[in-house]
Amino acid sequence: MLWGVTFLTFLVLNALPGDAASALLGINATPAEIRTFSIKLHLNDPLFVRYGHWLGDVVTGNLGTSLASPQSVASMLGQRLPVTLELVVYALIITFAVSIPLAVLCARRPRGVIDRLSMVLSMAGISVAPYVLALLLVIVFAVDMSVFPAIGYQSISQGLAGNLRDMTLPSIVIALPLTAFYTRFLRADLLEQMQSEDYIITARAKGLSLWRVLTQHALRNSFIGLLTIIGLNLATLIGSTVIVEQIFSLPGIGYELLQAISNRDVPVVEGIVLVFGAAVVLANLLTDLLYSVLDPRIRHVRSRT
Amino acid sequence: MAGLLRDRSRRTPSVDTTAAGTDAATAPGFNMAHSPLLEVADLQVTFRGRVGTVYAVQGVNFNVEPGQTLAVIGESGSGKTVTAQAVMGLLPPSAQVSGSIRFKGQQLIGLSEQQLRDYRGRNVAMVFQNPERSLNPVMRIGTQITEAVRSHFAFDRQQAHDRAIELLRLVRVPAPARRFYEYPHQLSGGMRQRVLIAIALACEPEVLIADEATTALDVTTQAQIMNLLLDLQQQLGTALVMISHDLGLAATYARDVIVMYAGKVVERAPTDVLFGGVRMPYTRALLQAIPRIELEPHVLLPIVSGRPPDLTTVPAGCPFAPRCPDVQPDCREEAPPLREHEAGRWWACWHPCGKEPAT
Amino acid sequence: MSVPVPELLSAAPVPEAAVEVVHGPGGRATGWLRSAEIAIPGAILLVLLFGCFIWPVVYPVPKPTGGSLLTTNLPLWSHGHIFGTDIVGNDIMSRILYGGRVSFEVAAAVQVIGLVIGGVFGIVAGYRGGTLEAVMMRVLDVFIAFPSLVLVLAIADSLGPSETHVIWALSAFSIPAFARVARAATLRLRDQPFVVAARLSGTKSWRIQFLHIFPNMLPQLLTFSLLGASITIILEGALDFLGYGIPPPGASWGNMIAAGQSFISVAPRFVVVPSIFLFVTTLSMNLLGDGLRARWGVR
Repeated sequence: MLWGVTFLTFLVLNALPGDAASALLGINATPAEIRTFSIKLHLNDPLFVRYGHWLGDVVTGNLGTSLASPQSVASMLGQRLPVTLELVVYALIITFAVSIPLAVLCARRPRGVIDRLSMVLSMAGISVAPYVLALLLVIVFAVDMSVFPAIGYQSISQGLAGNLRDMTLPSIVIALPLTAFYTRFLRADLLEQMQSEDYIITARAKGLSLWRVLTQHALRNSFIGLLTIIGLNLATLIGSTVIVEQIFSLPGIGYELLQAISNRDVPVVEGIVLVFGAAVVLANLLTDLLYSVLDPRIRHVRSRT
Repeated sequence: MAGLLRDRSRRTPSVDTTAAGTDAATAPGFNMAHSPLLEVADLQVTFRGRVGTVYAVQGVNFNVEPGQTLAVIGESGSGKTVTAQAVMGLLPPSAQVSGSIRFKGQQLIGLSEQQLRDYRGRNVAMVFQNPERSLNPVMRIGTQITEAVRSHFAFDRQQAHDRAIELLRLVRVPAPARRFYEYPHQLSGGMRQRVLIAIALACEPEVLIADEATTALDVTTQAQIMNLLLDLQQQLGTALVMISHDLGLAATYARDVIVMYAGKVVERAPTDVLFGGVRMPYTRALLQAIPRIELEPHVLLPIVSGRPPDLTTVPAGCPFAPRCPDVQPDCREEAPPLREHEAGRWWACWHPCGKEPAT
Repeated sequence: MSVPVPELLSAAPVPEAAVEVVHGPGGRATGWLRSAEIAIPGAILLVLLFGCFIWPVVYPVPKPTGGSLLTTNLPLWSHGHIFGTDIVGNDIMSRILYGGRVSFEVAAAVQVIGLVIGGVFGIVAGYRGGTLEAVMMRVLDVFIAFPSLVLVLAIADSLGPSETHVIWALSAFSIPAFARVARAATLRLRDQPFVVAARLSGTKSWRIQFLHIFPNMLPQLLTFSLLGASITIILEGALDFLGYGIPPPGASWGNMIAAGQSFISVAPRFVVVPSIFLFVTTLSMNLLGDGLRARWGVR
């Protein structure tokens, strides 16, 4: 499947009008210069040949060199990937830390104060556009209160505190819609279990407190559904990172992607697509693995006597 | 099973036992032979919902004595499960409950959720109908048992573990030590039901309510489970309330029978007396509908005509009137009250079978 | 054993009033408020649609482009310019309205394309099954895993920014999404008695698919498209924001926000006004979708 994805990308990028050479050399390049440049980069070889070359290189671990700069794609990715990764992880931590307890609180007392408030806020949360939220946060925190910086990035090696400070706003931007979405889902799932599942009645008949029933029984079952949702959300997550990195000028993969596309920097784009594709495949594997951890029924399918 | 009998008056029983092999009549904490454990008087439960008001229980009276085996018979919609839920304190907040439910003299209606929680599982426990669905699929069964124990007693993990194994052995689950760590889907239906019984008995309740506990099982397993319940009852002195729609079950296992229809108790008697001669036309119809070997083959079973009662209204007359083959005009006008017309026999009918009309 | 009569209620009725309605933003389960859940966002959307499409035709509104330099940077509530003007003198209010047109047009077009193409895809795949379905699903999987983002950006960048291109680019998202939903719904409906009956009575399969199955998934598709519309509007705004969509001087909420970025500290209204409209629009769509979903009982 990775194969299909990368091939498609290659196809698309090359099918589109716009020439890497002219984009890179600028408006004032003469046709002669463009021609020599193209020949040097094999840009005029037939499509399949180029793809074949690239594929061969990939398998041997060579992702090629960027057309726009002398850097190798691999090293570029190596630099930028950790940034994006950190952003995503930070955002996910925030998301789970907020949505899970919130959902339980809501389910504890349906239609109570916390519940109604959460529902309203989460509705707002999923309706907000990331870029709007980003700008809003910037206005409030960076401009008025100067707590978090508006743009800029400091790597961990330069100081953890500074790094976290720079990453906080962007992570919140990504985390907010996710949190809103997951809270709603968990709440609905928890309530559905409480209403209609027999094991909940058994648990209550034992004399367990509502809180215990919710967290120990219902929540465990909800995790399975949550996993599915997370898997589905992956693509949107990737999209959000691109926008957020752009706004906050974070040197991550998303930012690079935008540059590369406008430069028709095919190797870089391919490399990034490869990474994304691999991430999706990896995520799928991970979720499958987690399914069998969380749901003992799946775990035992093979070992049932 | 000596280790199970404990002094009921202490809240944190010690693990080892004092009295070995005592039976129900002399177990500690048992005050007088005829002081009822559970007294339900004029219980009414109404649900107000968007679809309208449902009068699920319209005045139910019965008692449960210590060690008694009582069968509550009725079809779906008769209010038997709602009554059980009321006794357990498991009704949703939207239910309006009036009347009185007393456990050992303590009024249960109006207690706070906290107090009800202490009471549930410890004094009265319930076993439900669907073994597949009544156990949490992602928790080990051992944990589901220890949870029951630890919510009422201050056991540590090892003690709770031991207790759980003991319970599994009690309900005749083979290889209990291994089963402790298994998940519900790894057990058969009969075994899951045993686990549910173990959970219910974990805190040695004085009343065990079995709500259609064997309905979902095949006949052989049904018999096994029923025998198990009766044996346990003997050993532990627990009162057993069997809720069912199966008269045959009641006849075989129960000492006393209550018949419910449309949210009311319509007949109440010791089993042998009841089956010796029913009074309520409804009960008679139930009996006649049981397939029997003595009947000729291809004989149509007598069916009661009409539809089950609509619980959104409280009818003026007897609720069975629209369908009763013996109905008389006065049946429709006024609802017959449940009265003890003979010693130990109660019925609610103006024109019972086999008797002169009651005036 | 028991008297053979039809069941009336299940043995343990759980009345609805006791438990929360799981859809909807915490609204009560009573009749009138439930209708309000649908009516209020619906009304808001209607007002917005009216304002964007009909109002400028009826009432002389200042043009969204070609403002004069004499009237630059007017603040809010100025005479003749309710929301003021931007740095080149365009009336912000009319830019909002015309920008709204773009947003609604794009959202509608993308959803319709997705519904038609994706829906057909999904229904056929779900109904036929077998290798056809397997192949289709693989292709779909590639599309979904494929960072459609790349495709979108690439298309938008190379073909030049324009509304139609944005529509086609965003359809790359909506088509697979609808296909997935349609297929899942088809699978669920395929084995229903009424479909089996139609099949057995010799109805042609295309008739079954489109006259029997499709109408039954309409509620699901409609609520899905409302939610999809709100996402589309946000995405379209994102494209404009990044510079790939409608170029200035054309008006669109996204590029208004982008243009206003640099003036955040001095004139936040450039960003805030279109943001508010964007938010209200998407919120209303989401609320409406949720309300309809609760009303029609879709999961």
